[in-house]
Amino acid sequence: MTAVGATVVDWGQLLKVVWTAAAAGVGVTLVFSLAVLGASRCFEHQRSNQPLGAFAFGLLALAGLGVCGAAIVAGIIVLAQK
Amino acid sequence: MHSDVLFAIVVATALAFDFTNGFHDTANVVATSISTRALSPRVAIGIASLLNFAGAFISLKVAATVAKGIVAAGSVTLPIVFAGLIGAITWNLVTWYFGLPSSSSHALIGGVVGAMLAAHGTGAIQGDGLLGKIVVPALVAPLLAFAVAGVAILVVYRLVGRLRPGFVTRGFRLGQVASGGLLALAHGTNDAQKTMGIITLALVAHGDLGAKSAHTPTWVVVVAATAIALGTYSGGWRIINTMGNRIIRMDSAQGFSAQGAGAAVILAASHVGYPLSTTHVISGGVMGAGAAKRLSAVRWGVAGNIVVAWLLTLPAAGATGAIVYGFTRIFGSGALGPVVISVLSLLLVGLLFARRAQTTATAAQARI
Repeated sequence: MTAVGATVVDWGQLLKVVWTAAAAGVGVTLVFSLAVLGASRCFEHQRSNQPLGAFAFGLLALAGLGVCGAAIVAGIIVLAQK
Repeated sequence: MHSDVLFAIVVATALAFDFTNGFHDTANVVATSISTRALSPRVAIGIASLLNFAGAFISLKVAATVAKGIVAAGSVTLPIVFAGLIGAITWNLVTWYFGLPSSSSHALIGGVVGAMLAAHGTGAIQGDGLLGKIVVPALVAPLLAFAVAGVAILVVYRLVGRLRPGFVTRGFRLGQVASGGLLALAHGTNDAQKTMGIITLALVAHGDLGAKSAHTPTWVVVVAATAIALGTYSGGWRIINTMGNRIIRMDSAQGFSAQGAGAAVILAASHVGYPLSTTHVISGGVMGAGAAKRLSAVRWGVAGNIVVAWLLTLPAAGATGAIVYGFTRIFGSGALGPVVISVLSLLLVGLLFARRAQTTATAAQARI
């Protein structure tokens, strides 16, 4: 049974799908959450006149959005490679 | 001449299936964005239609799997393809009637395999391909989406759980525009290709393409993309309601996590050529995002109905495909059988929609 499963199912390929999807799904959500966190803290620091903190969190928000955008573009490019 | 008429009927039926696929699976793409108010229903469906159209042009790997990897392409005849499509359309309409998000992909594969079994027996089925490329990925994909969405939403709550809710909600609604867009693109990439694969099989059966070197012609890509986009634009509101409101009441962060997980799983699977069910994947993601917050947040009764529909899809569509094939054979191997079935199907679809409209009108009157 195990031998049949091993020959019929390409477990290596399936595992690749599993880890790629897990890394992309959790990774992009994590980075986007950091962007939301950065933007929220940035506004808070702006309101309380703390420009350095606002700049740092603004940078975090922009970096997060940039990484998310890049991940989406990378995903489409990988998909388009036949 | 008979063969040309039959081929035209099969292509029209394949496009009708593609339309029902878009119509039926619109919910997968837009339900979470609509239920969290990230997008208005019309805008969400409009964007989804455009991106489904664009997605159909990105890759052809899934089309190749459907055309070559599941049944012996050389044994496929036009009546078999026709019967398989009718089996799939029937199952799509039945599940739409009951508002259940089931898999159009599995309905299509089940229909073709059932018709093939009725025509040639088990010898023409590539059991290895069916198990390795369809059944096992079908079991893994929803569980994977469930786990990814679950972990993702826990990460989100950990990072932004103590921030002002209003800002977080607006932020994730914006994120949902992107994740929903990516999902629509992935859906077009994955699902439109199934119809392309089926029309490619029909071209092989019609003698226009060789069984071993079958490639998908450009016109097939264009018409399949157009049909799924039009179907998506028509929208299936009953399933949108089930997917967006009845499984869990979700917030925008959960919607983002479910869509992100779904898009990641579908894109990764499409890249290696697995024709996954987007319905299973997104439903898994929605349930995962709900269960990770609180197990009781998921309406398990609704989830159970959906899982039962999933389990029934392959055998039910297969049985319908086999019965339709048997019925067409009564009229011989020409175009008459498919013509009769097409007319009967159109009448039944008309009755189904009329009955649905009547039920909706009665319910509206009762509310007044």
